Amino acid sequence: MNEIEILVVEDNADDLEMTLHALRKGKVANRIQIARDGAEALDFIFCEGAFAKRKLEAGPKVILLDLKLPKVDGKEVLKRLKGDPRTRKIPVVILTSSKEQNDLVESYHLGVNSYIVKPVSFELFVAAVQQLGMYWLLLNQPPVPE
Amino acid sequence: MQAEQQLKASLKEVDHLRAALDAHAIVAITDPQGKITYVNDKFCAISKYRRTELLGQDHRLINSGFHSKEFIRELWTTIAGGKVWKGEIKNRAKDGSFYWVDTTIVPFLNEDGKPRQYVAIRTEITDRKHNEATAARLAAIVQSSDDAIIGKDLNGIVTSWNKGAEKIFGYTSGEMVGASIMRLIPTDRQLEENHILNQIKQGASVEHFETLRQTKDGRTIDISLTVSPIKDVTGKVIGVSKVARDITERKNAEQKIHLLNTELEQRVIERTAQFEAANQELEAFSYSVSHDLRAPLRAVNGFAGMVMEEFAPQLPAEARRYLERIRNGGRQMGELIDDLLAFSRLNRQPLKGQQVDTAPLVRNTLEDLAPQREGRQIEILTGTLPACWGDPALLKQVWVNLISNAIKYTRGRAPARIEIGCETDNGENVYFVRDNGTGFDMQYAHKLFTVFQRLHLADDFEGTGVGLAIVQRVVHRHGGRVWAEAEEDRGAIFRFTLGKET
Repeated sequence: MNEIEILVVEDNADDLEMTLHALRKGKVANRIQIARDGAEALDFIFCEGAFAKRKLEAGPKVILLDLKLPKVDGKEVLKRLKGDPRTRKIPVVILTSSKEQNDLVESYHLGVNSYIVKPVSFELFVAAVQQLGMYWLLLNQPPVPE
Repeated sequence: MQAEQQLKASLKEVDHLRAALDAHAIVAITDPQGKITYVNDKFCAISKYRRTELLGQDHRLINSGFHSKEFIRELWTTIAGGKVWKGEIKNRAKDGSFYWVDTTIVPFLNEDGKPRQYVAIRTEITDRKHNEATAARLAAIVQSSDDAIIGKDLNGIVTSWNKGAEKIFGYTSGEMVGASIMRLIPTDRQLEENHILNQIKQGASVEHFETLRQTKDGRTIDISLTVSPIKDVTGKVIGVSKVARDITERKNAEQKIHLLNTELEQRVIERTAQFEAANQELEAFSYSVSHDLRAPLRAVNGFAGMVMEEFAPQLPAEARRYLERIRNGGRQMGELIDDLLAFSRLNRQPLKGQQVDTAPLVRNTLEDLAPQREGRQIEILTGTLPACWGDPALLKQVWVNLISNAIKYTRGRAPARIEIGCETDNGENVYFVRDNGTGFDMQYAHKLFTVFQRLHLADDFEGTGVGLAIVQRVVHRHGGRVWAEAEEDRGAIFRFTLGKET
């Protein structure tokens, strides 16, 4: 069982640390992979570049994805993921600061599974991250791979 | 005997001649002094005097006063000198009407060569005189017209040329009458003239045909042509009348207007582009505020929260209190940013107007606000709420803000009373929300609707000062008004109207 459970794609160090804090504190997941930009996230998911030796089947089970990212932005990552039959079924949760209606609508069009605006309040933030992780990791049974 | 017979025959001949004369002409005879000694029936008929009224009178009786003394004197001098006088005279009949007669006066002389009587033979020409006057008047009109009025025959040879034509084309009447109209027509338009002539020959007219013509000094001018056939009494087309108007100035003006319009359109396009660019910038700014400003704020709150979570037991009470203050500040700033964004989004959102049922909208709002009412004793009275026209989502925001204010500012009242209703003022619906809360001092009423302006301490009543600014913005966008009345510690009433459908 060395599958990666959650991939957190987050460029903001503060948000990243809070997310990790919430996930660990809530005992949601232990095997967490971090990507700091969209390009790194894509390399990890599709086992390219620095992750060439990784197996695609080894996860992640859930991806927490920020929208505003350096190099390749979150929507592009989402598009690539949902456009590829090998990765289409991985649940993706957009975790973003943006309250813009356009981003939300567009993300749902691209096939996102959840869309969460990062709460400014610490308690709400922790609660949101924990509940999401729980839901997609434990309650939501992913379809059996074909 | 033969002489007598000859005389008889001769007299008979004279009688016949006189009868013929009487049948045709107006005849009068006067003595040398001018006294009338004979008038025929035609004279009586035209002058409307009876014969008895005329005999023994002189011609002053029918003097119209039209002719000068010189004219009359010349007449008398001529006939008194034994010469025949011819002329046209205007006379006045008994009923005051005038008539014209073409007159020949023949003096009959005695042996001394002196006139012994005058025989005046006249023909009535009143109609002819009238026609002449009418024709002269029409000619004057034609002459004085600014439009060129030109007569042509069917071969395009000019037969008449008025002052207007001289002015417009520069040729005098002398130069043009008898010349071909073709000299006015630019070489590339000569076919056009043939085409017009063909239409005219078939009896048709051409109206307001806009074309170009050449003037004597070589300028090309814009003209509007109306061409009609001239027909003789049998209806046969014998010539062409042409009215040409110089429309160069009008054409220039039209061109200028066209140019100005094009410029104006261009400017509108540019302004619209600028406006759109500004709007996009604002959009980008809002996005940036919503995204970038919230991130550091989350860090402030988050790490303060994490310190509390992980290290609270190790911290002195004062440090914990300070951390709490940091987190409070952070939370407030978060609300401010959210409200500010909501406020700025209001202006960018297009208004989606429709018929809105106010009563269910308010009922809905009250349900949404149930959490705020929890643990409070609040009487809510809802009156009749007529439907209105507007954007339901925006109007809901108005009701949410006004009612939640009423709930907030009645805190501490038991029971709190909130009255929601509508009154009619001059046929206009005035919606209101009244409460028995803390109210405010009316001298600050003008600050109520300004964004970030608050009339209460945040310690007493939390808030960012955006709610009423949003209310006012929405109401104004609907073409309505909003105002408030209050008394400190006695309550407040907020009223608003909405405009008509737009």
